[in-house]
Amino acid sequence: MNQPDSGIFLSAVLDRPVISLSGREIGKLWDVAMSPGEPLPLVKHLLVRKAGKVRRVPWADIALFNPVVVSLKGELEGAGGVPELEDEVLMRRDILDKQIVDVDGARVVRVNDLKLMMVLDDLCLAAVDVGFRGVLRRLGYLKAWDFLGGVLHNPLARKEIDWLFVQPLGANLSRLTLTVTRDKLSDLHPADLAHIISQLPHQNISAVLNSLDMDVAGEALGEMEPEDSSRVLSQLDSSHAADVLEEMPPDEAADVLAELSDEKAQELLSHMDPEDAEKVQELLEHEDDSAGGLMNNEYLFVAPDATVDDAMTQVRLLAAEIDNIYYVYVVDEGEQLFGVLSLKRLLLASGETPVAEIMSRNPKSVHVDSALDEVFELVVQYKLAAVPVLEEDGRMAGIVSADDIMEHFLPFAQRWKQYKALRKF
Amino acid sequence: MTATKIIAPLRKLNRRNVFMFLALLGPGIITANVDNDAGGITTYSLAGAQFGLSLLWIMLPTTVALVVVQEMCARMGAVTGKGLSDLIRESFGVKITFYVMIALLLTNLGNTVSEFAGIAASMELFGISKYMSVPLGAVVVWLLIVKGSYRIVEKVFLVACLVYIAYPVAAFMSGPDWGVVLKASVVPDFKVTPDAVTMMIGIVGTTIAPWMQFYQQASVVEKGITKENYAFSRLDVIVGCFMAIVVAFFIVVACAATIFKAGIRIETAADAALALTPLVGRYATTLFAIGLFNASLFAACVLPLSTSYYICEGLGWELGVGKDFREAPQFFWLFTIIIAVSAGIILLPGAPLIAIMFISQVVNGAVLPFVLIIMLMLINDKRLMGDYVNKATFNIIAWATVVIVMGLTVVMTLDIIFPGFIARLMGN
Repeated sequence: MNQPDSGIFLSAVLDRPVISLSGREIGKLWDVAMSPGEPLPLVKHLLVRKAGKVRRVPWADIALFNPVVVSLKGELEGAGGVPELEDEVLMRRDILDKQIVDVDGARVVRVNDLKLMMVLDDLCLAAVDVGFRGVLRRLGYLKAWDFLGGVLHNPLARKEIDWLFVQPLGANLSRLTLTVTRDKLSDLHPADLAHIISQLPHQNISAVLNSLDMDVAGEALGEMEPEDSSRVLSQLDSSHAADVLEEMPPDEAADVLAELSDEKAQELLSHMDPEDAEKVQELLEHEDDSAGGLMNNEYLFVAPDATVDDAMTQVRLLAAEIDNIYYVYVVDEGEQLFGVLSLKRLLLASGETPVAEIMSRNPKSVHVDSALDEVFELVVQYKLAAVPVLEEDGRMAGIVSADDIMEHFLPFAQRWKQYKALRKF
Repeated sequence: MTATKIIAPLRKLNRRNVFMFLALLGPGIITANVDNDAGGITTYSLAGAQFGLSLLWIMLPTTVALVVVQEMCARMGAVTGKGLSDLIRESFGVKITFYVMIALLLTNLGNTVSEFAGIAASMELFGISKYMSVPLGAVVVWLLIVKGSYRIVEKVFLVACLVYIAYPVAAFMSGPDWGVVLKASVVPDFKVTPDAVTMMIGIVGTTIAPWMQFYQQASVVEKGITKENYAFSRLDVIVGCFMAIVVAFFIVVACAATIFKAGIRIETAADAALALTPLVGRYATTLFAIGLFNASLFAACVLPLSTSYYICEGLGWELGVGKDFREAPQFFWLFTIIIAVSAGIILLPGAPLIAIMFISQVVNGAVLPFVLIIMLMLINDKRLMGDYVNKATFNIIAWATVVIVMGLTVVMTLDIIFPGFIARLMGN
């Protein structure tokens, strides 16, 4: 078969007549059925429609496939097989005009047209056209527009996304991508993933979240505004939602649960691991605008009689689960705060040194009921990465990270979010 | 565990929860109140002034149709989680979406022109020339969209809507024969004239404007309402429609009792303001002007913004006021052009403001059946709506609306082309 190198657009061939070897028209091209391929999905069948009936023609039987003519190698025999299967992927029914995830651009876009290319003997789905050119092509106005563009020296740019960077939505369509490419979404930065999830229509949310690992999903949800993430969570079933909540840092989980109704929040908490649930509930008890409401009750701590080695072991043990590892707090069995060590100090000290020797005594702290202004002042004045929060009786309740307090106060909270994402290490 | 339960009610009273409650003041109520915009007030006033109570009977069936249509949109939004232009795109493809968007753009352009006419007319009642109020108004609207917080604008508008209470009160104070009014609300008693037919289309068009369907569905989606908490949405639609119709009803009655009785023909907004004299005497004009200005200004913000939103959504362009001109050029240019062109048309010398406001509503009425047909096809699609497809009653009411309004439009158009057509139809 002779095909042009730059590929064929689906809109150019759809609804064109399909003729057999003898020149008889057997119908119009109604749709194209695909099967998984490596690296791109392949065309398996063409669906041809005549007088309301749809028949299938295997790709192997096609002689010519281009915008001018679509023809068969021979004649159409028999009934042509079952026209449409529910779990098969068709280009027009399932992809054209529907939304997909542009993994590269981290956004949800709509498919205006599909681009097919020949690779050896197979016709593959190479790219999707999401730009206005695609719309114009479908309407038949592209040539006129290009002419105008040429005259005005302002051509309309192409906006095509390689299929490799596309994550289709919908249960059927995920079968089109094989294992190698399936994890495209998981590689995205949590903030990008959060942005994509917030753009998804309801029905696709649980499918997409299902395809992600729990911790990736938890991180992504943590990046979203609590209003949006609470909405996403309410789309999932309770045990799935609880699993995701467990993967989020307790303060973010508390923020999300605060957005839900009490009954829903209690339900999700009951599905969670009891330890995690307890941590989240402690945080839910505090007023939003106080230090207690903003704090995270997971932090690194070590006993007063420990050595630097012990502290480092502790760090390695807990750091995977904890957001903020800049400081290690020296806390006794009664949870009283004695001092604080920065990670830098720990790294520079020799292993047998007792932590009591190198820690900073009397660290600056606030109460669970303290106003956030106080926390902010401490962070700014003493350049702290986190401020410890104490209960009435002096027991350590949690820490407020500089990130969180800045986000609360700066009007450019958006920009801070991006900065925080860059700093993730 | 117990601590949380005890704290819970206290948590409910904090600032954020109060705001959330206000935020949930639903899409239905907002949509319905914007219904009484410049075009609405004008159309209802004209109906009462020119036909007295004889067209009052149309309010009840129109209300029923309005509730049905808005509920369908809310239901589609809750069940599918997608806006109306999204659904049209996904079910009917890009060609139909394109032409629907063009129709939407044109009708909304007409509506926006009408809003600026309202701004001009209301400010003229304070003695401010339209050459000052309209450009200023356009700039304010543009700034409100680009810089303002939509939520705050919404709340301010709703509070200002309280001005409409003036109409029911004025209606009562003008002391019509309530027996006659009640009879006129249910029994049709009018002469079929070309003017009457046009007015009927206008009333339907201003009450069930096509942009309202898109707006209702988009708001429901944005609030994140799903089929589980959809019942709240339904209530919100019904309450909203009821509120809008009450105001409309009393505008007609008040105008019928004062202006029609006096035999005045409404040419300017000042004439329409006369309807409020029984209530407030000299202050009638001021009150009317405030109401008209408030409605026009808010609608002038909502219409261009939402039109650009739906068009960009349907055609796949970037959108959102959070972005700037470079990131979402089509979105910004669309609403800027809509505002500029609408304001420009009003500034033409001798522009007949009242006529403009009225005609734009008639156009709404003419386009409505097409949007309804598309909606009916979508809402009866089992694959899309599952168990939430239309019940038979809803289908009947909706289809009846389509047929009747289309019929009226055809009759009106034929009469325009062949004058005297309606008279012949009635056997005169």
